[in-house]
Amino acid sequence: MNSIGNKPIPDPSILAATRSRAASWPFRSVLIANRGEIAVRILRTVQALGLRGVVVYHAADRKAPAVSMADQAIEITGATPVAAYLDAKQILAAAQASGAGAIHPGYGFLSENAGFARAVAAAGLIFVGPTPEQIELMGDKVRARAFVAKGGFPVAPSAIEDDDPATFAERALAVGFPLLIKPAAGGGGKGMRIVREAAQLKGEIERARSEGQRYFGDGRLYVERYVENPRHIEVQVLGDAHGNVVHLFERECSVQRRFQKIVEETPSPALDSALRQRICETAAGIARNAGYCNAGTVEFIFGAGGAPGAASGAGNAEFYFLEMNTRLQVEHPVTEMITGKDLVLEQLRVAAGEPLGFTQDQVLSSGHSIEFRIYAEDAARGYTPTTGPVLALRLPQGEGVRVDSGIVEGQDVTAAFDPMLAKLIVSGKDRSEAIVRADQALAQFALLGCVTNTAFLRRLLKHQAFIDGQVHTGFLDAHPEIAAQPELNQATLQRLLAAAALMTRPMRDGADQVPDLHAAIGSWSN
Amino acid sequence: MHHAFKLEENEYNLELSRTPVGYCLHLADGSVPVNLNLLSDGSALLTVSGSSERILLATRGDDVFIHLGGSAYQLRYEHPLQRLAAQSQGAAEDHVRAPMPGSLVALHVEPGQSVTRGETLLVMESMKMETTIIAPRDGVIEAVHFAVGQTFDRDALLLSLEADAVEGKKP
Repeated sequence: MNSIGNKPIPDPSILAATRSRAASWPFRSVLIANRGEIAVRILRTVQALGLRGVVVYHAADRKAPAVSMADQAIEITGATPVAAYLDAKQILAAAQASGAGAIHPGYGFLSENAGFARAVAAAGLIFVGPTPEQIELMGDKVRARAFVAKGGFPVAPSAIEDDDPATFAERALAVGFPLLIKPAAGGGGKGMRIVREAAQLKGEIERARSEGQRYFGDGRLYVERYVENPRHIEVQVLGDAHGNVVHLFERECSVQRRFQKIVEETPSPALDSALRQRICETAAGIARNAGYCNAGTVEFIFGAGGAPGAASGAGNAEFYFLEMNTRLQVEHPVTEMITGKDLVLEQLRVAAGEPLGFTQDQVLSSGHSIEFRIYAEDAARGYTPTTGPVLALRLPQGEGVRVDSGIVEGQDVTAAFDPMLAKLIVSGKDRSEAIVRADQALAQFALLGCVTNTAFLRRLLKHQAFIDGQVHTGFLDAHPEIAAQPELNQATLQRLLAAAALMTRPMRDGADQVPDLHAAIGSWSN
Repeated sequence: MHHAFKLEENEYNLELSRTPVGYCLHLADGSVPVNLNLLSDGSALLTVSGSSERILLATRGDDVFIHLGGSAYQLRYEHPLQRLAAQSQGAAEDHVRAPMPGSLVALHVEPGQSVTRGETLLVMESMKMETTIIAPRDGVIEAVHFAVGQTFDRDALLLSLEADAVEGKKP
């Protein structure tokens, strides 16, 4: 039984039916080319379907839960731990050695690498994801934008370097300030820079180019209008090889730091039902236009005011196509919690050549779900990453609580990987119930040995603007008090010092060594 | 009181003594009865002034990690001798440490090279962003402790400057 949290997802009857059909799928064994919580998440569904789950791992991850959970785990090596997970050759060799018939790339690493998807197919294996052509189209942000605009969907005013490199800076100026410089080959917020004045433009273009070159091996850029105080709203889509495309509603991912998401939820507090339908149908339309196959996410920038070229909805709201991610997203669980659909199961079903397990009118949304990314980072120190051993770990439990974790006690949190350790997904019948449950669950989330952001997330939850759903991507910058370490109260300080003193050998032993005299005096003086 | 713990940037002096029923914690502003019972599930029952709560704790070397009241804390036991030694140690500006974990992207100096205050020493990468580390004062590079591509933890010693009080005061 693939029980996630305390709500069986998918419905047990759907799981049973899919499981029996999976017996005749073209693959009976799936290799997961990823690590951490997402490797565990994918394994859970693979194994629930009666398929064999194989993982690759770098030595730095030897103690990781995916390694012990997998039916087979194959060690891979690399100049750095990350390099191992990017080594297509070793991963393909592991797939063949283990008899895997399909490779699920998860997110990050090789998940949006068209060359890898081609190499998987060339090796006679199935890539659990879209076609290489679709990855390429959406991976080139400039081409993707042009494709979306051509389909009649809304995109932000922009200037693209490739159109005419000689006049790029000039055309960028014409877009107007503030503007955002982005690498053409980018994603995940890497190398993006906001420019507010013409004087900074040239220097920032050079910096963005250098970062783009280093991260993506591609220094080409584009700029687009920066929507002030925008929301980031994205829509989950699923397509199959039979031409079916559905959406599974939106996710609001506006609480970010350094362009990276921290909290995601669905439904978005910003949308009324008409706007919700409109943004979701726009996403499905874009995916349909691309003949999109497998799981993907269409991201939009959503603003409160009107601007030229934007699709306008209720009031003055506007939204622009931002990009499409051609893979499973980190934040997919909130969608699973409100729709009851298992996205990994559908990915595998589509990869096996079957049509989707449901039609658009069978996708219903109920309740509210919020995901919190548990990061190894110190919010009070500018969200800088932290490292350390996982000395003790207690995960929260309770009604509506799901934890997708990639860590266990005894592991080390190192700077070698992304600082996301786990995801806490909390659901309720409505947003306020989810928030109350989330606060309890975050308080229960105990990890000792490495600083995490759980206390920060609790402060965020209690902020009035968050409670009111009034967030935007610059929300945390606008409210630095949320990240600041609050003053410790005297009662807590006393309790901490008491616990620390009693746990410290030189202190406790010192006290124990003079028991009689001290004890006598102690009772005497009391 | 010769025992102390450091929490965040603050140091707290304290003493522990035995009582017939447990312990007594002596702080600068008074004493309170305390006790700690480790439970079989790895958590512990902390009692302070008669009020008990379940907490989670772990130690590593001189560090004590505590999860209490829904938040995690780290306290460091300060050995009496080390506290004395720390007070007589050289200037912190002789040592350039990593402000955060990351990796070395570019190195602009080598041992023996003279640098002026504010000059770029190296570029590190963390959180997918570059951070430039500059010279804290004028001086001569004594040693470089990492090579390009290597990763390090927060507070790792990246570079050392030769101790040179005269150079450090140049305008």
